[in-house]
Amino acid sequence: MKSIIAYIQKDEWSPYIAGVLLGLIGILVAAAATAFRDPAIALGASGAFESIFGGLTRLVASDWVAKNVYFRAVRLPTVTWEVVMLLGVFIGGALGAISSGTWKLRWMPEKQWAEAFGKSRVTRWVLVFIGAILLEYGAGVAGGCTSGLAIWGGLQLAPAAFVFMGGMFATGILTALIVYRRRY
Amino acid sequence: MSVAEIVVALVLGIGFGFALQKAGLTQYHKIVNVFRFTDLAVLKFMMTALIVAMAGLFGLDALGLLALPVPPQTYIVGNLVGGLIFGVGMAGVGI
Repeated sequence: MKSIIAYIQKDEWSPYIAGVLLGLIGILVAAAATAFRDPAIALGASGAFESIFGGLTRLVASDWVAKNVYFRAVRLPTVTWEVVMLLGVFIGGALGAISSGTWKLRWMPEKQWAEAFGKSRVTRWVLVFIGAILLEYGAGVAGGCTSGLAIWGGLQLAPAAFVFMGGMFATGILTALIVYRRRY
Repeated sequence: MSVAEIVVALVLGIGFGFALQKAGLTQYHKIVNVFRFTDLAVLKFMMTALIVAMAGLFGLDALGLLALPVPPQTYIVGNLVGGLIFGVGMAGVGI
Protein backbone atom coordinates (compact mmCIF):
# COMPACT_ATOMS: atom_id res chain seq x y z
CA MET A 1 0.00 0.00 0.00
CA LYS A 2 2.80 2.36 0.96
CA SER A 3 4.58 1.76 -2.31
CA ILE A 4 1.35 2.49 -4.22
CA ILE A 5 0.98 5.84 -2.45
CA ALA A 6 4.66 6.56 -3.11
CA TYR A 7 4.11 5.82 -6.81
CA ILE A 8 1.07 8.12 -6.98
CA GLN A 9 3.20 10.89 -5.50
CA LYS A 10 5.88 10.45 -8.15
CA ASP A 11 6.29 13.43 -10.46
CA GLU A 12 6.19 11.35 -13.62
CA TRP A 13 4.65 7.94 -14.10
CA SER A 14 5.57 5.35 -16.65
CA PRO A 15 3.50 6.30 -19.72
CA TYR A 16 2.24 2.70 -19.76
CA ILE A 17 0.75 3.01 -16.24
CA ALA A 18 -0.82 6.39 -17.06
CA GLY A 19 -2.09 4.84 -20.31
CA VAL A 20 -3.82 2.04 -18.40
CA LEU A 21 -5.56 4.68 -16.25
CA LEU A 22 -6.74 6.52 -19.38
CA GLY A 23 -7.90 3.23 -20.90
CA LEU A 24 -10.02 2.53 -17.81
CA ILE A 25 -11.43 6.08 -18.02
CA GLY A 26 -12.32 5.35 -21.66
CA ILE A 27 -14.29 2.23 -20.63
CA LEU A 28 -16.08 4.21 -17.90
CA VAL A 29 -17.03 6.94 -20.39
CA ALA A 30 -18.56 4.25 -22.62
CA ALA A 31 -20.35 2.83 -19.57
CA ALA A 32 -21.68 6.33 -18.80
CA ALA A 33 -22.93 6.65 -22.39
CA THR A 34 -24.80 3.37 -21.91
CA ALA A 35 -26.17 4.31 -18.48
CA PHE A 36 -27.31 7.85 -19.34
CA ARG A 37 -28.35 7.05 -22.93
CA ASP A 38 -26.79 10.36 -24.01
CA PRO A 39 -25.15 10.24 -27.49
CA ALA A 40 -23.20 13.42 -26.65
CA ILE A 41 -21.11 11.53 -24.07
CA ALA A 42 -17.56 11.11 -25.37
CA LEU A 43 -13.97 11.31 -24.19
CA GLY A 44 -13.26 14.63 -25.88
CA ALA A 45 -11.68 17.99 -25.25
CA SER A 46 -11.66 20.27 -28.31
CA GLY A 47 -15.45 20.29 -28.70
CA ALA A 48 -15.78 21.82 -25.24
CA PHE A 49 -13.91 24.96 -26.30
CA GLU A 50 -16.25 25.31 -29.26
CA SER A 51 -19.33 24.88 -27.07
CA ILE A 52 -17.98 27.49 -24.62
CA PHE A 53 -17.27 29.90 -27.51
CA GLY A 54 -20.76 29.32 -28.93
CA GLY A 55 -22.34 29.86 -25.53
CA LEU A 56 -20.46 33.11 -24.93
CA THR A 57 -21.11 34.37 -28.47
CA ARG A 58 -24.81 33.68 -28.00
CA LEU A 59 -24.84 36.39 -25.32
CA VAL A 60 -23.91 39.09 -27.84
CA ALA A 61 -25.05 37.63 -31.19
CA SER A 62 -27.80 35.11 -30.47
CA ASP A 63 -29.22 35.27 -34.02
CA TRP A 64 -25.92 34.39 -35.62
CA VAL A 65 -25.36 31.39 -33.30
CA ALA A 66 -28.96 30.23 -33.76
CA LYS A 67 -28.55 30.24 -37.56
CA ASN A 68 -25.08 28.72 -37.57
CA VAL A 69 -25.19 25.13 -38.85
CA TYR A 70 -22.10 24.12 -36.86
CA PHE A 71 -23.56 25.25 -33.52
CA ARG A 72 -26.96 23.83 -34.40
CA ALA A 73 -25.89 20.37 -35.49
CA VAL A 74 -22.28 19.63 -34.51
CA ARG A 75 -21.37 21.42 -31.26
CA LEU A 76 -24.22 22.71 -29.16
CA PRO A 77 -23.53 26.19 -27.67
CA THR A 78 -24.36 25.11 -24.14
CA VAL A 79 -22.95 23.26 -21.12
CA THR A 80 -22.40 19.85 -22.70
CA TRP A 81 -20.86 16.69 -21.24
CA GLU A 82 -17.52 17.69 -22.75
CA VAL A 83 -17.60 21.15 -21.13
CA VAL A 84 -18.03 19.61 -17.66
CA MET A 85 -15.37 17.04 -18.46
CA LEU A 86 -12.92 19.75 -19.56
CA LEU A 87 -13.40 21.48 -16.21
CA GLY A 88 -12.54 18.15 -14.59
CA VAL A 89 -9.40 17.85 -16.75
CA PHE A 90 -8.09 21.15 -15.37
CA ILE A 91 -8.82 20.05 -11.79
CA GLY A 92 -7.31 16.60 -12.43
CA GLY A 93 -4.15 18.09 -13.95
CA ALA A 94 -3.76 20.40 -10.96
CA LEU A 95 -4.33 17.50 -8.54
CA GLY A 96 -1.68 15.49 -10.39
CA ALA A 97 0.85 18.29 -9.92
CA ILE A 98 -0.19 18.89 -6.30
CA SER A 99 0.11 15.17 -5.49
CA SER A 100 3.76 15.21 -6.52
CA GLY A 101 4.50 18.61 -4.96
CA THR A 102 5.43 20.12 -8.33
CA TRP A 103 2.46 22.52 -8.55
CA LYS A 104 3.59 26.03 -9.40
CA LEU A 105 2.56 28.93 -11.58
CA ARG A 106 4.98 29.34 -14.42
CA TRP A 107 5.38 31.59 -17.40
CA MET A 108 6.34 30.25 -20.77
CA PRO A 109 8.68 29.64 -22.54
CA GLU A 110 9.81 26.26 -21.29
CA LYS A 111 13.45 25.13 -21.16
CA GLN A 112 13.56 23.27 -24.48
CA TRP A 113 11.72 26.06 -26.29
CA ALA A 114 14.05 28.74 -24.85
CA GLU A 115 17.12 26.79 -25.92
CA ALA A 116 15.84 26.36 -29.47
CA PHE A 117 13.97 29.59 -30.18
CA GLY A 118 15.06 32.11 -27.54
CA LYS A 119 13.69 33.37 -24.26
CA SER A 120 11.14 35.89 -25.61
CA ARG A 121 7.84 35.43 -23.83
CA VAL A 122 5.96 37.50 -26.43
CA THR A 123 7.14 35.28 -29.29
CA ARG A 124 6.11 32.17 -27.37
CA TRP A 125 2.69 33.57 -26.53
CA VAL A 126 1.97 34.77 -30.08
CA LEU A 127 3.03 31.43 -31.56
CA VAL A 128 1.00 29.48 -29.00
CA PHE A 129 -2.03 31.58 -29.93
CA ILE A 130 -1.57 30.91 -33.66
CA GLY A 131 -0.82 27.23 -33.01
CA ALA A 132 -3.93 26.88 -30.88
CA ILE A 133 -6.07 28.36 -33.67
CA LEU A 134 -4.64 25.76 -36.09
CA LEU A 135 -5.28 23.00 -33.55
CA GLU A 136 -8.87 23.96 -32.87
CA TYR A 137 -9.63 24.60 -36.55
CA GLY A 138 -8.06 21.28 -37.57
CA ALA A 139 -10.02 19.48 -34.86
CA GLY A 140 -13.22 21.16 -36.06
CA VAL A 141 -12.63 20.03 -39.65
CA ALA A 142 -11.64 16.50 -38.66
CA GLY A 143 -14.45 16.03 -36.14
CA GLY A 144 -12.27 15.77 -33.04
CA CYS A 145 -8.82 16.18 -31.53
CA THR A 146 -6.26 13.75 -30.10
CA SER A 147 -8.79 12.91 -27.37
CA GLY A 148 -12.18 12.97 -29.04
CA LEU A 149 -11.08 11.46 -32.34
CA ALA A 150 -7.72 9.66 -32.00
CA ILE A 151 -8.32 8.08 -28.57
CA TRP A 152 -12.12 7.94 -28.28
CA GLY A 153 -12.52 7.01 -31.95
CA GLY A 154 -9.50 4.73 -31.91
CA LEU A 155 -10.74 2.64 -29.00
CA GLN A 156 -13.93 2.01 -30.98
CA LEU A 157 -11.88 1.19 -34.08
CA ALA A 158 -13.43 4.09 -36.02
CA PRO A 159 -11.54 4.50 -39.33
CA ALA A 160 -11.69 8.29 -38.86
CA ALA A 161 -9.33 8.04 -35.87
CA PHE A 162 -6.58 6.32 -37.83
CA VAL A 163 -6.92 8.62 -40.86
CA PHE A 164 -6.65 11.58 -38.47
CA MET A 165 -3.58 10.14 -36.69
CA GLY A 166 -1.87 9.57 -40.04
CA GLY A 167 -2.45 13.20 -41.04
CA MET A 168 -1.42 14.50 -37.64
CA PHE A 169 1.87 12.62 -37.61
CA ALA A 170 2.66 13.47 -41.26
CA THR A 171 2.56 17.23 -40.75
CA GLY A 172 3.70 16.97 -37.13
CA ILE A 173 6.97 15.32 -38.13
CA LEU A 174 7.38 17.74 -41.05
CA THR A 175 6.74 20.77 -38.83
CA ALA A 176 9.20 19.55 -36.18
CA LEU A 177 11.77 18.98 -38.96
CA ILE A 178 11.29 22.51 -40.28
CA VAL A 179 11.31 24.38 -36.95
CA TYR A 180 14.19 22.38 -35.46
CA ARG A 181 16.20 22.07 -38.71
CA ARG A 182 19.69 20.79 -37.87
CA ARG A 183 18.77 20.25 -34.24
CA TYR A 184 16.13 17.71 -35.25
CA MET B 1 -27.92 17.07 -18.12
CA SER B 2 -28.89 15.53 -14.81
CA VAL B 3 -26.87 16.16 -11.64
CA ALA B 4 -25.65 12.55 -11.72
CA GLU B 5 -24.38 13.01 -15.28
CA ILE B 6 -22.54 16.23 -14.34
CA VAL B 7 -20.86 14.53 -11.37
CA VAL B 8 -19.78 11.56 -13.50
CA ALA B 9 -18.45 13.87 -16.23
CA LEU B 10 -16.48 15.87 -13.66
CA VAL B 11 -15.00 12.78 -11.97
CA LEU B 12 -14.01 11.16 -15.28
CA GLY B 13 -12.52 14.49 -16.43
CA ILE B 14 -10.45 14.64 -13.24
CA GLY B 15 -9.16 11.12 -13.94
CA PHE B 16 -8.34 12.11 -17.53
CA GLY B 17 -6.44 15.24 -16.44
CA PHE B 18 -4.62 13.29 -13.73
CA ALA B 19 -3.46 10.65 -16.24
CA LEU B 20 -2.31 13.32 -18.72
CA GLN B 21 -0.38 15.20 -16.05
CA LYS B 22 1.29 12.05 -14.66
CA ALA B 23 2.32 10.98 -18.16
CA GLY B 24 3.99 14.39 -18.49
CA LEU B 25 1.86 15.43 -21.46
CA THR B 26 1.19 18.86 -19.98
CA GLN B 27 4.72 19.82 -20.98
CA TYR B 28 5.92 21.29 -24.27
CA HIS B 29 8.90 18.98 -24.73
CA LYS B 30 6.86 15.78 -24.26
CA ILE B 31 4.51 16.70 -27.11
CA VAL B 32 7.13 18.03 -29.54
CA ASN B 33 9.69 15.29 -28.97
CA VAL B 34 7.36 12.55 -30.15
CA PHE B 35 7.57 14.18 -33.59
CA ARG B 36 11.38 14.26 -33.28
CA PHE B 37 11.44 10.58 -32.17
CA THR B 38 13.45 11.49 -29.06
CA ASP B 39 10.68 10.76 -26.50
CA LEU B 40 7.83 8.46 -27.44
CA ALA B 41 5.81 8.94 -24.22
CA VAL B 42 2.79 10.30 -26.15
CA LEU B 43 2.63 7.17 -28.30
CA LYS B 44 3.23 4.77 -25.40
CA PHE B 45 0.51 6.52 -23.41
CA MET B 46 -2.03 6.64 -26.25
CA MET B 47 -1.47 3.12 -27.51
CA THR B 48 -1.65 1.60 -24.00
CA ALA B 49 -4.91 3.45 -23.41
CA LEU B 50 -6.27 2.21 -26.75
CA ILE B 51 -5.35 -1.43 -26.04
CA VAL B 52 -6.81 -1.41 -22.51
CA ALA B 53 -9.99 0.38 -23.57
CA MET B 54 -10.51 -1.74 -26.70
CA ALA B 55 -10.12 -5.00 -24.77
CA GLY B 56 -12.43 -3.77 -22.01
CA LEU B 57 -15.03 -2.24 -24.30
CA PHE B 58 -15.38 -5.09 -26.78
CA GLY B 59 -15.06 -7.65 -23.96
CA LEU B 60 -17.88 -6.07 -21.95
CA ASP B 61 -19.93 -5.69 -25.12
CA ALA B 62 -19.51 -9.41 -25.89
CA LEU B 63 -20.72 -10.19 -22.35
CA GLY B 64 -23.73 -7.94 -22.96
CA LEU B 65 -22.82 -5.59 -20.09
CA LEU B 66 -22.26 -2.52 -22.22
CA ALA B 67 -23.59 -1.02 -25.44
CA LEU B 68 -20.94 0.19 -27.88
CA PRO B 69 -21.14 3.99 -28.11
CA VAL B 70 -21.65 5.90 -31.36
CA PRO B 71 -18.20 6.21 -32.97
CA PRO B 72 -16.97 9.50 -34.50
CA GLN B 73 -18.01 9.83 -38.13
CA THR B 74 -15.63 8.85 -40.89
CA TYR B 75 -15.40 11.27 -43.82
CA ILE B 76 -11.91 10.54 -45.09
CA VAL B 77 -10.99 13.86 -46.73
CA GLY B 78 -12.18 15.90 -43.74
CA ASN B 79 -10.55 13.60 -41.18
CA LEU B 80 -7.28 13.72 -43.12
CA VAL B 81 -7.21 17.45 -43.87
CA GLY B 82 -8.18 18.23 -40.27
CA GLY B 83 -5.39 15.96 -39.07
CA LEU B 84 -2.89 17.65 -41.37
CA ILE B 85 -3.80 21.11 -39.99
CA PHE B 86 -3.87 19.79 -36.43
CA GLY B 87 -0.36 18.31 -36.72
CA VAL B 88 1.15 21.69 -37.65
CA GLY B 89 -0.27 23.31 -34.53
CA MET B 90 0.59 20.40 -32.25
CA ALA B 91 4.22 20.04 -33.33
CA GLY B 92 4.72 23.78 -33.81
CA VAL B 93 3.85 24.88 -30.29
CA GLY B 94 3.53 21.65 -28.33
CA ILE B 95 -0.04 21.73 -27.10
